[in-house]
Formats: sequence, structure tokens, C-alpha cells
Amino acid sequence: MSQFAQSLSNGKLGRRELIKRFGISAVAASGLFGASKNAYAKSAPHVVVLGGGVGGSTFAKYLRFADSDVKITIIEQYPEYITCLRSNDVIVGYHTLDELTFNLDTVQSKYQVNVIIDKAIGADFDKKTVTTAKGQVIAYDKLVVSPGIDFKFEDYEGHSKELAETKIFHGYKAGPQTLALREQLLSVPKGGTAIIAPPQNPFRCPPGPYERASFFAEYFQKHNPTAKVIVLDPKDRFTKDGPFKKAWERLYGYQTDNSLIEWVSGSDGGRVLSVDGKNNSVETMAGTFKADMINLIPNQRAGKLAQILGLTDASGWCPIDRFTFESSLQKEVYVLGDSTIADAMPKSGYSANSQAKVCAQAVADTLRDRPLTKSVYANVCYSLAGDNYGVSIAAIYEVRDGLIQPKGKSEGVSPITDKPAQPILEAVYQKNWQREFVKDVFS
Amino acid sequence: MQTSPLKTLIAAVSLMAATHAHAEPQMATGQAMAWQCAPCHGVNGQEFSEAMPPLAGMPVKQFMDAMLAYREGTRPAVIMDRVARGFTDEELNAMAQWFAKQPIKPWEQTTLQESLSAQQAGAQAAGEKQ
Repeated sequence: MSQFAQSLSNGKLGRRELIKRFGISAVAASGLFGASKNAYAKSAPHVVVLGGGVGGSTFAKYLRFADSDVKITIIEQYPEYITCLRSNDVIVGYHTLDELTFNLDTVQSKYQVNVIIDKAIGADFDKKTVTTAKGQVIAYDKLVVSPGIDFKFEDYEGHSKELAETKIFHGYKAGPQTLALREQLLSVPKGGTAIIAPPQNPFRCPPGPYERASFFAEYFQKHNPTAKVIVLDPKDRFTKDGPFKKAWERLYGYQTDNSLIEWVSGSDGGRVLSVDGKNNSVETMAGTFKADMINLIPNQRAGKLAQILGLTDASGWCPIDRFTFESSLQKEVYVLGDSTIADAMPKSGYSANSQAKVCAQAVADTLRDRPLTKSVYANVCYSLAGDNYGVSIAAIYEVRDGLIQPKGKSEGVSPITDKPAQPILEAVYQKNWQREFVKDVFS
Repeated sequence: MQTSPLKTLIAAVSLMAATHAHAEPQMATGQAMAWQCAPCHGVNGQEFSEAMPPLAGMPVKQFMDAMLAYREGTRPAVIMDRVARGFTDEELNAMAQWFAKQPIKPWEQTTLQESLSAQQAGAQAAGEKQ
């Protein structure tokens, strides 16, 4: 773990460190727009963004594209952001955490966005203000929230936040969790067992657990060939399951006696009911499984900030207007990314980026009393089933019959063919995509 | 299954309300759709050093020929056949017009002001007022 990641996880990030990384203006409590090069019109509306991750950062940048004279402020808790995307690579050593770490420097300087490193703790929707942990009260004309996800540890008997931070790691928020999983994977003894237990739908990065299972199998194949991955799934289907299972057959002997991966479906009793941290075991409908490492990825709901701000409904997720991503529960508040109910769109970084662009145009048009334009969204998810074997799912989306649905005949997963070029090219494109995507978000 | 008249009425009224709130235009702007291509092709199509080709400055005909061939399945594809099937001819043309006006240089070397002008020129070429 980098020294920085360590200080993050310990909550020890002092003023000096912040100044070193972000410059004095980002830390000063006063002079909110002191750092700005732009002389905004006094009447320029103020758009405040809570969360500087994929949704928030993309939104701020594209709002600047859509309106050169709006004041934009991002309030983000951490001075650096580690992308969840490609964090599976870190577990098996294809990437380092540092390579997945980004900040808001370019967004601040190139797009004249004010960045406040502080934690938003509440909002007054009548007065249109946000309150931060350091006691700042910041007024907004439009508020945008991109709060990510939260875990439902209570869905598993014996599980807790504490256990998830000490032994049964999820690795579904990149950072110390990712490195802890790497350490556990490298410590699996010869012929040992790793369990991956994916969550129920809906959840962040639907292919994530299955890409991870593939990577564990690939790692074992190279370094510990008698070890095995067992996927204990509450579901009978998962995204790209056709191409994934074909890849497992081709690469890891799936469904043979020597398979490196075993997948237990929901119908076969794969759902985890309880966790025993002491014995490193889980109980499922199909019986008790003991392992050398257990990667339980819990069921999920919208991030804590969304809950605190009252933006979630009974489902635990945030209902939104499908055309603009304005909250259905609070006027002038917009919600982006994994925490939203976006129908057919998966909870992916690409989706959050796509929604942020549509939302930025809608916010700009609304502020200037222009008519809204039609909303078109996109998602492409590349996953690796091995270092040199990619699988993808893609679709363009529109709002139809009140729901976000695939547009035209665009929705589809990688075809299963005998052409060796297909998965190899998909792996090339996956790596290309990762480099471009983070540029689109952060620079 | 029998639907109660009340349910039908509620559905009809809420559908009307939804339609009314968003008097939806027929088509998204070329710019809004083009922005969606950035995660692979670079910001405004301005990535010149990757496997996925740059779209900035691409002649309109080249863009249209490629996308129509992907959509009709006459050009070998990895994922672009799927993406192309999401767009109508008019939508593809609006994107083509917009991309043709973006500068042929890497995003990192493009200033915000320069890009805002190019984006405006793209919107005008696509027949959209800015």
C-alpha cells in the first residue's frame, strides 16, 4: 500500500499533505472562488457536485463544455480517487494501485472547477445549501450527487463491517480492500481454495466477480495449479455468462474434473446464508464451504450520502427522471451513477460517465431556460477472462415507454466464434478503453 | 388478465403527464451523441495513439461509410457492429458532421477555448443552434 493510501485508510491526512497535493487554494476555507481564473458574471448560477469520482468529475467537465459561464464546485472527501475499474488487475498484479489513482487537478485548472476537499454531511433543500464536516455552508442553484454504493452486511448472518475490514474482504471499493485480497490470494496454500461470493442483482460492475474468478484461476494456473476457485452465486445467470463460460472452458478446463473454476448457481444452492470468520467458512443452501480465502461481495444499496440526504426509495436506490437524472424525490437535485435506478443500464463506470454527460447538458439547458434535447446513453463493458482474452457487452440506450431501454438492435455480448482474433482484440480494446476512459473522466 | 378501468385511466394520465413534462424532440444532438464515444475514442474523438481510431477531423463520408457498413454487417467488427445498430442514418450524419469539425490533435494539447469553438462549429454543421 502506498503511504498515501495508508494515510487515507487511517484517516490521517493532514493540512500539510493536502496543501502539498492540491495547493493552498484547495484547502483554504475562505475564498471559494479564489482559485478560479474565470471572472464569472455575478448572476452566474452555482452548480455544486458532491463526489469527485467517475460521475461527479465527468459531470463537472462536461457542464463546462455545455456552459462556459456557470460556477461549478466539486466537494470531495478524499484528495485522490482510486478507480474501481481495473482494480481486479491489482489483485493479480497486472496493475498497481498507484496506476489507478487520480486527482481533480486537471478538472480544476483546465475546466475552471472549484474543488473543495471536505466531506458533505447534509443539505437543506429549502435553503438550497450543503453542509460539510469542516462546517462550511455552501449555497447551490443545482445540486448533483454521485454517491456510489453501500453494502448490506446484515444480509448475511455473522457478517459485519468489522469482519469485512479485517478478514472477509469485498474488494468492491478500490484501495486497502484490493491490496488485502491480493495478499490473501498470494497466501493460498498449494491445493487450497478461494471462494468468491457475488451479490444479488442489482450491484456495481455486474461482470466484476466473474472477471475476478477468471483472474484467480489464471493466477492459480501459473503459480498454484492444484488450487481452485469456487464461485458461490445467489443467481442462475450473470452478465456475459455465455462468453465467460466459453472462456473458462477454453482456458481453465471448466466443467472437467480438473477445472480451476467451479460455479455453483442459485438453483444449486449457491446463495451464502451466513459467514463464520473464525473458521473461514460460509454456509449456503448447498451446505458448508470452507476455504483459505473468502471474497464475499455483499448485496448493495445506494451510497450513504444518498441515504442521509433522503434520495433513496424503499428499494434502497435512487429514483430519477430518466431524461435528466433529476431526483424524483427532490427538485433541483440530480443523482448519477451506481446509486440510481437506471433500468436497463448496468451500474458501471461507463454508465455513470454517460449519464453525467446527459445530465450536464440538461442542467445547462434548464439553467438557461432552453428546451431539453433528446437523451441518448451508452455503455460498453470490457472484461478480461484472462490477461489476453476479452469479453464485452455493449448497448446504446434511449428512454422509451418511461424506461431507459436499449436503442435499435444495439444490445449484445461478444459473439462466441472460432476466430481467435475476437477475444484477443477485445483484450487489446479493453486496455485501450481503460486508458481513454480515465482521461475522459479526469483530464 | 383483466385490467381495471381505473388502472388503465391512471396509466393513461401518468403517461400523458410524463409526455407533457418532456415534449421530447425527435433526435438527440450530434454533440450529445458524439460525447458518448469519448471513453473509447478520446475526448471529442481526439485520441491519436490507440487501437481505436480517432474520430476528430474524420471526413463525413468516411464516418458514414464505416458506420453504415458496421450496422449492415458488411464490415468485420469486434463491437462496433453492436454500437452502430443503435443509431439511425440521421443520427449518424449529425455525429459525422460534428466530429468533422473537431481539431486533429491530441486532447491534451487542445485548450478549452479552442475546443468550445470547435464544438460550436460542429453543432452548427450538424444543423443545431447553439
